[in-house]
Amino acid sequence: MNVFFIAADVNVEALVIFGVVLGITLLITYWASKRTHTTTEFWAAGRGITGAQNGFAIAGDYMSAASFLGIAGLIFLFGIDGFIYSVGFLVAFLVVLFLLAERMRNAGKFTIADVLSFRLNERPARAAAALGTLAVAGFYLIAQMVGAGVLINALVGLGFELSVLITGVFMLSYVIFGGMLATTWVQIVKAVLLMTATIVLSFFVLERVGFNPVDLFNEAVAQSDDGEAFLQPGLFLTSPIDTVSLGIALVLGTAGLPHILMRFFTVPDAKAARQSVVWAVALIGAFYIMTTFLGFGARAFLGTAGEESAGEGGNLAAPLLAEEIGGGAGTIGGDAFLAIISAVAFATILAVVAGLVISASGAVAHDVWSNIVRKGRESDREEVVAARIAAGTIGGIAILVAIVGGEGLNVSYMVGLAFAVAASANFPALVLALTWRRLNTTGAVSGVLLGTISSIGLVVVGPDFGVLDDPLFELSNPGIISIPLGFLGCIVGSLLSKGEGKAARNFDELYVRSETGLGAEVGSAEGGLRPRGKESAAAVSTFVQI
Amino acid sequence: MAREEASRGDGQTAQRPSASGHAEPFDRTSVDWEAAENSPEFKELIRKKKAFVLPATIFFFAWYFGYIILSGYAPEFMAESIYEGFTLGYAIALTQFIMVWVLSVWYVRKADRDFDPLARRAAEKAIESGRRATGPGGGSEVTAR
Repeated sequence: MNVFFIAADVNVEALVIFGVVLGITLLITYWASKRTHTTTEFWAAGRGITGAQNGFAIAGDYMSAASFLGIAGLIFLFGIDGFIYSVGFLVAFLVVLFLLAERMRNAGKFTIADVLSFRLNERPARAAAALGTLAVAGFYLIAQMVGAGVLINALVGLGFELSVLITGVFMLSYVIFGGMLATTWVQIVKAVLLMTATIVLSFFVLERVGFNPVDLFNEAVAQSDDGEAFLQPGLFLTSPIDTVSLGIALVLGTAGLPHILMRFFTVPDAKAARQSVVWAVALIGAFYIMTTFLGFGARAFLGTAGEESAGEGGNLAAPLLAEEIGGGAGTIGGDAFLAIISAVAFATILAVVAGLVISASGAVAHDVWSNIVRKGRESDREEVVAARIAAGTIGGIAILVAIVGGEGLNVSYMVGLAFAVAASANFPALVLALTWRRLNTTGAVSGVLLGTISSIGLVVVGPDFGVLDDPLFELSNPGIISIPLGFLGCIVGSLLSKGEGKAARNFDELYVRSETGLGAEVGSAEGGLRPRGKESAAAVSTFVQI
Repeated sequence: MAREEASRGDGQTAQRPSASGHAEPFDRTSVDWEAAENSPEFKELIRKKKAFVLPATIFFFAWYFGYIILSGYAPEFMAESIYEGFTLGYAIALTQFIMVWVLSVWYVRKADRDFDPLARRAAEKAIESGRRATGPGGGSEVTAR
């Protein structure tokens, strides 16, 4: 009897579709594992991903459950405020395109730290960049893992711990066995699934209102207790200065997200890097516009009655809307739609956490282990082994934290914090390393430290963290203070310390290289750079023949 | 970085076309990077790029933060209906999407047509200067010419 109860709780259709999605990703991983041996293959998919493929992968890497379920839920609960997140998340890609996409591809190798250490003292610069990467990836990862557990629990009926464990095990198998190639294709598959599901859902929502979005908005207003205020900003983002602070962190944070920047190392050249941004903004932009149809649709068709079942933050609004659109709870169509959207949400999380784990393993294995601890003595093969061990360890810790912390773990501030750290620590150091001659090691290290510490510190003493009854800092979003501090740390640190000959000299090379691609890493061979001071006669003579 | 290159990648001397169209392997020590940075070709690339990126960046920051600040400080204004309940705030948000699409496509077209050829010329110039400095006969050949 007990067995039947469990069976009744579990959504069998969703489980079957989950199984299909997982099967596809395992096939991809098996295929990718045969092509993943060197570091360039493990971390950069052999630099053989095309611009269009990378655009889909960026979209898959970027649109987390916070975007899909979170923003739809926010719009469902609080109206237009949720859309401010969408706009910020998208406009951020102009910063990426204009400042970093091509330059990163030309200047870097696998990680953010590669760009900094190119012109700065290697060990401190790498250590600082690795810290920034791990902080961002860590907060993001834990938020996603806990979110995965809560969602799968609610949608499929598996227990929280089991859900976290399944997510973690699959995430780790993609990264450990298939490296960046598997991660990329999982992200591409996810982007296609997510876009298709969102288009279908939006179509049926709009069909109900005769394809007149204005009617949809009016119906949403009619179904809201807030009435006209539902279309007015301020229901969720109640403090104007906090809204501005959030806006700054959103638009600059993306350009400091290690798992997004890492994607630019997977394409063959700068041209493909910029093309991938155009593909990404086409997909991500279309998706975010559709989140308003989902959010307002959920409000219009689920109404006030749906608020309780949509859960905290309205995260289940989109799946419930799918059920309603399919014919309602208990109908064949309703169950099928709910199951499909649940599986898509699951795929969404898997693709994002895989991207986070591979970028964090880059910081640990490539930056800290190979280049700081082993000082570059490691062979290529050894570094791949270290990468796999690092990925396993990071993933294991994330699974453990999520399970020990449990469903009650407050993760609401964590994605925002990840963006704040990215914008305050990684972004200033990267941009100044690529554009400001005077930057030196002291400046970069103090900027990263100040940016990381101030953004985390301000959140801890802020209103959302929940430790202080009486917050010392009134804003939920620290960006407006911590981002200027990150820049200030870099600038003041550089100016107060002695200029470094190396930093300025290598700036010339980094600058020319990042703008022209001369000397940039190529293809799957690591022959793009020759060792400094090792002018073999052969190298010079080949060079002269060009 | 240099150390790490020394331990691997050696022996892979396959000729591969790179982003800038020159062949590998590439000897970074053979290039006078300071001269490359000061070459007229490189300076023109930077000038042309700046002429697009700088105004475009100022524009999109202004438009974006205009939207954010209005959302924060003028919610009633943003809630004004411009067509039967279709609000001004939503309309301005949609213009942000259009702005991103137009600017990114525009940038990529400019990069393909204008920036890439300039970057290629600047890279060729840098390689050439390196050849003059370290090639057979070294600098004396240059002065003799």
